[in-house]
Amino acid sequence: MTEPERQLAEPSAAFEPRLVALVCTWCTYAGADLAGTSRLPYAPNVRIIQFPCTGRIDPLLVLKAFEGGADGVLVSGCHPGDCHYTSGNYHARRRWAIVRRLLEFTGIDSRRLYFSWVSAAEGRKFADLVNEITQAVRAAGPFEPANPARRRPWT
Amino acid sequence: MDLIADLRTDAAALLRDGRAKLVIGYRAGGAGDAARRAPVFVSDPARVDVLVYDASCRQNLASYLRKPEVRSRAPVAVVAPPPVMRSLVLLAAESQITDATVVVLGVGEGVYHGVLDIAQTAALLREKYADLAPSAEVVREIERIAAMTAEERAAFWTARFARCTRCYACRAACPLCYCTRCIVEKNVPQWISSAAAGHGNYAWNIVRAFHLAGRCTLCGACEAACPQGIPIMLLNVLAAEEAARDFDARPGYDPAEKPVIGSFKPDDNDDFIR
Repeated sequence: MTEPERQLAEPSAAFEPRLVALVCTWCTYAGADLAGTSRLPYAPNVRIIQFPCTGRIDPLLVLKAFEGGADGVLVSGCHPGDCHYTSGNYHARRRWAIVRRLLEFTGIDSRRLYFSWVSAAEGRKFADLVNEITQAVRAAGPFEPANPARRRPWT
Repeated sequence: MDLIADLRTDAAALLRDGRAKLVIGYRAGGAGDAARRAPVFVSDPARVDVLVYDASCRQNLASYLRKPEVRSRAPVAVVAPPPVMRSLVLLAAESQITDATVVVLGVGEGVYHGVLDIAQTAALLREKYADLAPSAEVVREIERIAAMTAEERAAFWTARFARCTRCYACRAACPLCYCTRCIVEKNVPQWISSAAAGHGNYAWNIVRAFHLAGRCTLCGACEAACPQGIPIMLLNVLAAEEAARDFDARPGYDPAEKPVIGSFKPDDNDDFIR
């Protein structure tokens, strides 16, 4: 029996958070790749979604992740000064500052939404970050039923 | 009375000289109630006597400037109390209006500021209305909600957003929501569910506030237009506070200002980023 089959056959009773990581391809995705090729184990709770640049990561994508039932979201890209397109991460940073405040104010607080800079050389940082966030979201518990953005049947 | 007499005289002169083809102002009455104020469009100098101005004139008339039927009548004169003046200066900063298309008829509480161009409007705002602040009541309410737990905040907003019927009156009332095709009407892919329920209402109200962050001039027209009484200004003021604190945003005071979202500084605050 393969590992995924075993997990399906014996679902764990304990809560396992579902995390979505929205990452830029040049830095954080490459960093996650390095974590993998370096054989660094990290929590399997994260679903990584690759974008050309953090400047492409519209706040709507964060909302979509929560709408689809994510318990936590990580948005990550290149360190300031490292953007492949010069300034995409600077633009993204301004948007994040506003969006996180709006989401926090409406019920998606900082236990659910994380931002980071992870470079292509920081495989270790990525692995540690995912472990840390998984731990924090696990401690915060399932986002349901409080998740204000969750997609629900129209009643 | 002087205020209104001077306003009417100037409006008539603008129309007669051709410096404006249309004056957008306020008139008394509306919905059968003489105490109410409604927008009025005057193109005949003989009819400027309908124009009035007092503290009950709350609608932001700058929101008409994006409409094609108004744009085609340029130059247009707009009766503008201070929050509307700010909207007009911001529209100029965003290249939506110019001195060739809009003339400002500046009014304030019991004062008439005369016929102004955009630079003069910005100068007047900086000189006399530099400290326009959100109402203390809204600020107190924001503090109260911010002190709740995340679950309580989610419940608070879920209950309020549940009332939203997605009529988009907030968008129609806002002079700064001028996109000809709004994100909420783009359906390939459907970013924001258009059903008047749960996740779509949440996404719409958050995204609307986000698109106004660093731009909102806090005129309150959206909340006044909301037929469901959703406290929209809480979100607008929150985003405005954040933009002011982190990015020194003072929208509507300088026609040459750069957009807050869309520009950056290399040393912007990033203490929330790991």
